[in-house]
Amino acid sequence: MMISGGGGGGGKSSWSSSTSSWVPTTSVSASGKRIQREMVELNNDPPPDCSAGPKGDNLYHWIATIIGTPETPYQGGIFFLDIKFPIDYPFKPPEVVFKTRIYHCNVDPDGRVSMGILKDDWSPALTITKVLLEVRSIMTNPDPYNAVVPGIAHLYSGDRAKHDDIAAEWTVRFAK
Amino acid sequence: MENKRMVANEEQRRSPRNQKVPLTDSNGQNMATLFSPRFKSAAAMAGWDEEALLLASLIVEDTPDRDPKHKKRYVLHSKTPPNSSRKRRAQRSPQAPIPVVLDLDAEETPKIDSGRKKKEKKACVENEGKKACVENEGSKVGEGGNESKEKNPGDASSSSSLPCIDKLRDELSCAICLEICFEPSTTPCGHSFCRKCLRSAADKCGKKCPKCRQLISNGRSCTVNTVLWNTIQLLFPQEVEARKEASALNSRQQAQNLSPESAFFAYLRNDTQPLRVASSRSTNSMRSGTTATTTTTTTSTQENEDAALARMLQREIDEQRSLGTTRTRLARLRARRGGRGVSTSQHEDAALALRMQREEFMQTYRGSSQEQSSRLTSTSLARENLRAMASRAMNRRR
Repeated sequence: MMISGGGGGGGKSSWSSSTSSWVPTTSVSASGKRIQREMVELNNDPPPDCSAGPKGDNLYHWIATIIGTPETPYQGGIFFLDIKFPIDYPFKPPEVVFKTRIYHCNVDPDGRVSMGILKDDWSPALTITKVLLEVRSIMTNPDPYNAVVPGIAHLYSGDRAKHDDIAAEWTVRFAK
Repeated sequence: MENKRMVANEEQRRSPRNQKVPLTDSNGQNMATLFSPRFKSAAAMAGWDEEALLLASLIVEDTPDRDPKHKKRYVLHSKTPPNSSRKRRAQRSPQAPIPVVLDLDAEETPKIDSGRKKKEKKACVENEGKKACVENEGSKVGEGGNESKEKNPGDASSSSSLPCIDKLRDELSCAICLEICFEPSTTPCGHSFCRKCLRSAADKCGKKCPKCRQLISNGRSCTVNTVLWNTIQLLFPQEVEARKEASALNSRQQAQNLSPESAFFAYLRNDTQPLRVASSRSTNSMRSGTTATTTTTTTSTQENEDAALARMLQREIDEQRSLGTTRTRLARLRARRGGRGVSTSQHEDAALALRMQREEFMQTYRGSSQEQSSRLTSTSLARENLRAMASRAMNRRR
């Protein structure tokens, strides 16, 4: 069913109520509309271990959380991410940044996530849900061949056990 | 069986002929009563012959008069020949348009014999093609009208009652804007998006399918997938309507943000409401039987009024322009937002200016085509559009 405005956030009324006051001014822009729809869809059908929503009144600035998948060095950690939508979203990819420090070869020291779909492989048919799922998937399976931190990638391919130990340690230190 | 059919056909052929001869003069009377000479001449200008008019009017407006005629036709098809008293009654009845009976007979015969349907249809297209085709068009117009009448109330309930409507909504949504596809365009790889969305995706993200990244060769000239678009319009009339309104509003607002002049022209372009009002007004004044001289006097007073308003509008535009030059753009926007009343009065003025323009136009053409302009109202225009569409469809089928 259609949920108009911000009334659809079950339990997350803290931000959904704030967005509802923001809706009328943005409803004209296509990107705002699309982001709003994504928000509704995310609330109706949230991906496993992920959540996301606007940080404050700004619909183009979201905050997301990913819970570290079990059986990975990140298990038990709660990772916060900042998502910034460009004004011509969905034709340009959103910017996804880890706010929680993470030991990962595809996440640079500033937390910027390096993924194909957030760069050249972006497609306007992708949604934030898919992006979050992709982030979750590279947390499980890092991609050392397109790494931004060569040291971690090297360790990951050379000494997986040591890499996992460090990553688990970082998770305990920063993500709990 | 074959014999019976032959007999029936012969009877049919004979019976209309029998009726035709005595009824030609009453036929002429019928025409006179049904259509005013004005309308006939207007129709002639529009390229309708009288028979076609009669047919179209009978089929388009499904009047209750038609039902007894239906029965009469069935009587004609029945195996027993219609007795003379019935025939006389039919002749006496004042609203029996005989050509209709004849033509519909020709159409109805294939219904009796489904096996010969195709053959006869071809024959009717080739031989008396004009009549039959006109009639086909008429019936199509009628069907179209009925559909559009029934569509809206029916769909309001059907869209909520269909069990798979949510799945359909997902399937028919555009992956780019996440709304129901508006004027969907289908890529060579088979994925459908709103035409606008696909175009901007091709412009901004390269000519790849947003779904599967296959190359889109003709990303610029995307065409609307008509079947899909019609389906969407049938399934989600409210969403489509809302989207249409939103896009109209959007473009109007954009125009407003640009400059007052462009807002004025955008308003003229986008909003057909004043146009419709103006046309219906003028037609009403003519239909009420006022002579040409009185209408010109009224219009001239209106013109004075409108001219004054147009002058006012010009002044307002100038004012706004000076505002824009003296202050910053932001301040101007704020001022306009604060004074919504100004913009609405601007719209009203725009409407009046348009009306004035229209009436001027009509005055210049009134001498030659008064009837035409008076009768070519929105409904007849729509009917004509449908006619054109139907004939196009016929041509394509052939």
